[in-house]
Amino acid sequence: MTPEPFATWRRMIKEHGLIKTVFLRVDDTVTRITTGLNINDIRSVLRGDPPGKPNPRVKPHTESAIFHIWPSFYHEAVTKFYPTFRLGMLSTLLFFVEIMTGLFLMVYYTPAPGVAYDNMLKILSNVPMGQFIRDMHRLAAEFMVVAVWLHMGRTFLTGSYKKPRQFTWATGVILLIITIALSYTGYLLPWDQLAYWAVTIGASMADAAPPPEVGKAVALLLKGGPDLGAAGLLRFYLLHVFALPLGAILFIFVHYYKVVRHGHSLPPEMEQIGEDTARKVSQDKRVPFLPDVLTNELVWFGILMVALVVPIALNIYNAPLEHAANPSSTPLHTVAPWYFLFIQGWLKLGDKTFWGVIFPTILIGLLLLWPYLDYNPSRRYGDRRIALAAMFGVIGIFVVSSFMGTPGFAVVTAPQIEIGHEFMPGEQVGPIRAIPFDQMKVGTWSTQDLASIPDDAPQLKAVMEELAAATAAVPPVQTVNDKEVRYTNMYGELTITEAQLAKDSAGTLKPTLKQLVLGVHWDEQPIDPTNGQPGYFVFTFVSVDSNYSSGE
Amino acid sequence: MADSGMQFRNVSRREFLNYVWAGSLAIFMAASGGAMLAFAMPRFKEGEFGGMYTVGTVAEKMPAADAPPVNYPDVKFWLVNIGPEEAAKGGGIQGLAAMYKVCVHLGCLYAWVDSTVRFECPCHGSKYQADGTYIEGPAPRDLDRFKVVITDGQGNLKYETVVTNASPGYGAPIPVPTDSSFVIKVDTGIKIEMGKRHYYQGGQPT
Repeated sequence: MTPEPFATWRRMIKEHGLIKTVFLRVDDTVTRITTGLNINDIRSVLRGDPPGKPNPRVKPHTESAIFHIWPSFYHEAVTKFYPTFRLGMLSTLLFFVEIMTGLFLMVYYTPAPGVAYDNMLKILSNVPMGQFIRDMHRLAAEFMVVAVWLHMGRTFLTGSYKKPRQFTWATGVILLIITIALSYTGYLLPWDQLAYWAVTIGASMADAAPPPEVGKAVALLLKGGPDLGAAGLLRFYLLHVFALPLGAILFIFVHYYKVVRHGHSLPPEMEQIGEDTARKVSQDKRVPFLPDVLTNELVWFGILMVALVVPIALNIYNAPLEHAANPSSTPLHTVAPWYFLFIQGWLKLGDKTFWGVIFPTILIGLLLLWPYLDYNPSRRYGDRRIALAAMFGVIGIFVVSSFMGTPGFAVVTAPQIEIGHEFMPGEQVGPIRAIPFDQMKVGTWSTQDLASIPDDAPQLKAVMEELAAATAAVPPVQTVNDKEVRYTNMYGELTITEAQLAKDSAGTLKPTLKQLVLGVHWDEQPIDPTNGQPGYFVFTFVSVDSNYSSGE
Repeated sequence: MADSGMQFRNVSRREFLNYVWAGSLAIFMAASGGAMLAFAMPRFKEGEFGGMYTVGTVAEKMPAADAPPVNYPDVKFWLVNIGPEEAAKGGGIQGLAAMYKVCVHLGCLYAWVDSTVRFECPCHGSKYQADGTYIEGPAPRDLDRFKVVITDGQGNLKYETVVTNASPGYGAPIPVPTDSSFVIKVDTGIKIEMGKRHYYQGGQPT
């Protein structure tokens, strides 16, 4: 017999008619794609009807590649906000937000000095939604660090790392390290001053790893040369977009496989240690993944996206971008990102080999092995007073260390430089640039003559009053380096000049660019090397379009 | 626990061959790891970085004794003429030295601050005297420095910094040349690391 084309279609049309055949074929295709749910099954899931018997909603969990990752039901006790706070799921979602936004950013990014920073400016000014995507990538990264830390804190708090979940905890610690490494490698990519110097400090910490030969080799491998340059940027880029995400994906799957294997840990009072709650859940305690857990997780995803998008859309959050990296000038008070401030604090304590390498390594080792060291057989809060007290103790130490990492702690330079940095920093905005453009009155304004500042420039007046307070607060006689240093009659002077004029639409000349010079003067002032005049000077230009006053 | 699984059984031929196979794979993996490290190691050798930089003649470029150090940002050093005042505060040796601009703590660029008369690092607050002697902060040792070479107009060597570790005068400032036609050169390929804080205080280490 010769084969006929479309035999099944022709047979079905003969039997059911065309319209019903089309419906049956669509239904069949949907069932194949969902690996078990036809259109009616899906509608009943969406309506929240009880499932039929045998339950068709279990089939995707056993048959499909994607759904088999999830268990087909959760224990009722872990579907509420407590005890998970949804932190593990939120961390994973944030990781996927990072992958998506990161892919978009890669379209306009070349990892090369000189090009990378121009790419950033192009993304910010010339790519539709470019700034939005960059802000999103940066904010989600910060959220992810918070979510991963909180997730670990919660797991410790509820004793969920105990038997049989010790290995799950260890993979979680590895994911914490990968998260921090991802964030750190991404820090360098904009190739601005913030990036360059924060990463120089971090890479120099690798240099301190003992013994010296190993430290030097690790630092060279990381930086690609004696100084951070093209080779280093490329290495950080490859780590950031390839090696570390690959590691993260691998460990997320190991981590989540273990979570599903042993079941989510129940609240401490409901589950004894060593119990495995994944399979022994009575029928009335089961909450099916389809539809209850899935819809709940979708709601959380929505909340997360709102929390990410709203601060960016309302301009509350902007990813920082400083001046292009300048390898021959370190800005004052270069700081690590806030989640590294604790290490920055330790580094001020002394030996970088101990505080920068050995001590953090001991802490990570302790964290990794903690479930195997903690022999207390109870998960209940009342039985774990020492462990919980230790946890809050460690949190306290981290808060104090982070405070020690802030610029004000133990890094004090000469008062005129501190004042210049506070009011007109080399990077970031500072109070003087934030004065509205029309209030930047042309002239020389001194803290010795505050009354001469025009009344229609209230913000200028307020800043000059702050400056007067800051100069007055400097002790006139200080002992520095066993030598008496005098700062008598210190005052500040702000000189504003018009640097550029342009005609507006009505044809009148208006200033569009102003030069601001902040001078700090005192009786014993040395000659400033930048302009050969006595005193200390900081220079800047502000454009009418700068929009610093709005916080940008 | 006395079950049959714990009993010792002789290694069969197949088991032995599998061990050999696994062992050779392990050696192969280790060798591959070594090759990968060699591949990733930057093509850079000690000494290739930097080179001889001519500052100028003594008449033109020599800073006055105890004057603020002179910044050479492109080649990353401060040229400093340590006079009696700075020598007394620091290691006690007067003369000419070139301080490598990178802080020995964590790689930031420190700067000279006129009003406090010392080098200050903007990152973690390490402070040093003009001759590189550690004052305070987390830095582990005195500042690194470069080899300074003084030649006459014909290029004949007159003075140079001692770069052999642990020999007398290692890394110390060299005498200030009196002939104003002599030429000051700094070898930025030879970085001299002082082994500790206050290297020259309490007598020179041997």
